[in-house]
Amino acid sequence: MIEFTLWDIVRNLLLALRWTAALSAIAFIGGGLVGALLLTLRLGLGRRTQRVIGAYVQLFQGTPLLMQLFLAYFGLALLGLDVSAWAAAALALTLYTSAYLVEIWRGCVDAVPRGQWEAAKSLALSFGEQLRHVILPQAGRLAIAPTVGFLVQVIKGTALASVIGFVELTKAGGMIANASFKPFLVFGCVALLYFALCFPISLFAQHLEGKSHVR
Amino acid sequence: MSAEALADPIVRITALRKSYGTNEVLKGIDLDVKRGEVVAIIGKSGSGKSTLLRCVNGLEQFQEGSLAVNGRPLLHESAMAMRELRQQVGMIFQGFNLFPHLSVGRNVMLAPTLVKQRSPNQAAEQATRLLNRVGLADKFNAMPDQLSGGQQQRVAIARALAMEPAVLLCDEITSALDPELVGEVLRVVEALADEGMTLMMVTHEMNFARKVADRVIFMHQGRVHEVGPPGELFNSPRTPELQQFLSAVRD
Repeated sequence: MIEFTLWDIVRNLLLALRWTAALSAIAFIGGGLVGALLLTLRLGLGRRTQRVIGAYVQLFQGTPLLMQLFLAYFGLALLGLDVSAWAAAALALTLYTSAYLVEIWRGCVDAVPRGQWEAAKSLALSFGEQLRHVILPQAGRLAIAPTVGFLVQVIKGTALASVIGFVELTKAGGMIANASFKPFLVFGCVALLYFALCFPISLFAQHLEGKSHVR
Repeated sequence: MSAEALADPIVRITALRKSYGTNEVLKGIDLDVKRGEVVAIIGKSGSGKSTLLRCVNGLEQFQEGSLAVNGRPLLHESAMAMRELRQQVGMIFQGFNLFPHLSVGRNVMLAPTLVKQRSPNQAAEQATRLLNRVGLADKFNAMPDQLSGGQQQRVAIARALAMEPAVLLCDEITSALDPELVGEVLRVVEALADEGMTLMMVTHEMNFARKVADRVIFMHQGRVHEVGPPGELFNSPRTPELQQFLSAVRD
């Protein structure tokens, strides 16, 4: 039997942490882009689009992320698409993140008083100009804190990607725990690493929140 | 422009009807506003006066009738046509609605640079001139929340004027102000009227309407109930509704 030193455990976990960070980054960037697109569609087009996007949001908020990961992995395979665990996890997390972000950002846009839209409209600004020069700068300021806060949820959500065999921090922890027979130590380290990733972001969100209140 | 075109009304409203669901708030409005005319619209809250004003620049959609500004009909379906129309029609709001993330100067410059493609230099020059005109030459770099309500409203006037509109709509522009700040805003509006700007204003300031307006329109339950020159309308109201309204306002 191979003896695992603490350094072996931590070193392997740190290597796996890269994948957690990468998956989080992809989910956040992809989700942000999809979310921004959906938000623009929702604001610019009619009732029907709003309802379709509303249904999309409900679908992803109303089902467990775990199911979404399963469906992305096994569902796409059923359709004959050979997707890796990587791609399935990235896809599911991107869609999941976009559904939450579009809702968070819509709330921020709604928080901008109606009079701002009206003033921009009556100055003959086009819809795009209203959005870009008047509404989004104000909504954006409101959105920073909740958006960064949600990032923490996404990072922790990537742990679920372990169920489809994607080796990120949690999955790596499970494998090392099985091999080393030190589950408490290993998962303790896993928890600490998640904390090390999330805590600074939480602090940053709080800092931003404080800032926006002072204004 | 020919003399004939000048004589044409700048705003022509014909048989305009507007409802919110089953609630009809404008029940057939006919109104022409001449170039350079100052029209004051008075009436109880809920009489439809603000809604009428907001129809003129397309902030509210109406279901029947027609509305034309400078001979061009208002078409809600066409974003291009609305953009054209709104360049002709400026609006000042009760709540100022300055853009809080932009400095005073940038508030005034934004629309001309975007819509009229003015260079930043030209726009800044114009903004300085307009701010000077409303008595705020030194506030170019101030942020809106550093100004009093009266100052904010004067910036809003400068911002609307920057688009060089043919008509200016004023929607209860002093209602949100502390009493001591009303005068400074009304003086600016009066100066505009004197310079020949076409104004349509919904107002609760009866003395101001009497002094500045060429024509006063009393709205009641979604209709134009009584129209006339201010002297006539205020001194000898013909309908009991206007009599009642005026006595209620005077109390």
